[in-house]
Amino acid sequence: MSETTREPDARQIATEARDRVRFEEEALALSDQVYRVARHLVGSREEAEDLMQETYARAFRSWRSFQPGTNLRAWLLRILTNLNIDRGRRQQRSPDMQPLEEGDYFLYNKLEASGDGDTDEDRVVERLSQNDVVSALSDVPHDFRDVVVLVDIGDFSYADAAQILDIPIGTVMSRLHRGRRILKKSMADQAVGGEVA
Amino acid sequence: MTAYDPCAHCEEVMQPFMDRVLTDDERAQAEAHLDECNYCRKRYRFEENLRVFVRHAVASEPMPVELKQKLAALRTPLQ
Repeated sequence: MSETTREPDARQIATEARDRVRFEEEALALSDQVYRVARHLVGSREEAEDLMQETYARAFRSWRSFQPGTNLRAWLLRILTNLNIDRGRRQQRSPDMQPLEEGDYFLYNKLEASGDGDTDEDRVVERLSQNDVVSALSDVPHDFRDVVVLVDIGDFSYADAAQILDIPIGTVMSRLHRGRRILKKSMADQAVGGEVA
Repeated sequence: MTAYDPCAHCEEVMQPFMDRVLTDDERAQAEAHLDECNYCRKRYRFEENLRVFVRHAVASEPMPVELKQKLAALRTPLQ
């Protein structure tokens, strides 16, 4: 009799251990992608590394609250952005204090005007350097940058980004719209302010 | 009232167009304009190239190997 009552417990423990190991493996397999987003949500590599460790420590502790079949990468980034906010790393500015962005064509127009007569539009983008992009992105205010990083670098849908940041989807769309323009304005300042081929 | 400027309108819908969130009608209207307007088509091609370029530029810094090892070490030890 005691055999029959003990056996399901042992099986349950084994199943749980197997599920947990699978969860851990899946989460670790996504770590490169999570890091790529994390690296640009915070200011420095050190902060990104700290945040990644806190995120994975918390994820491994609370793995049972993840619903299998849902988006694990979004779940991990939800933890990461919450931790980022908890740590008070973000200093939000009110929206009316944000820099004014230019229109969508601003960057192209600037780069084209700064060229040496090369009119091949497919090569205009080559007038930007990798550094221009990275430093321009770090200049974008947090609220806007979070959305741009999640959607344009992390490849998340508007809906996923809304869930990760816990903001309405309409807010994702408006911040994305403005964030991309702020980024382009900032890239134009970087590129045209410095040396342009 | 300002006059309707198709290029200004195209600029306004460029990002949602690229995100594929326009309605079918809006999309068809934008495509028709891009077909006939060299000015906007150049800028559209640039925007496409730019997205790829940005993604590439920021993805080139891989996760440090030591960090990966630290994350793996956070797993619950097997009994």
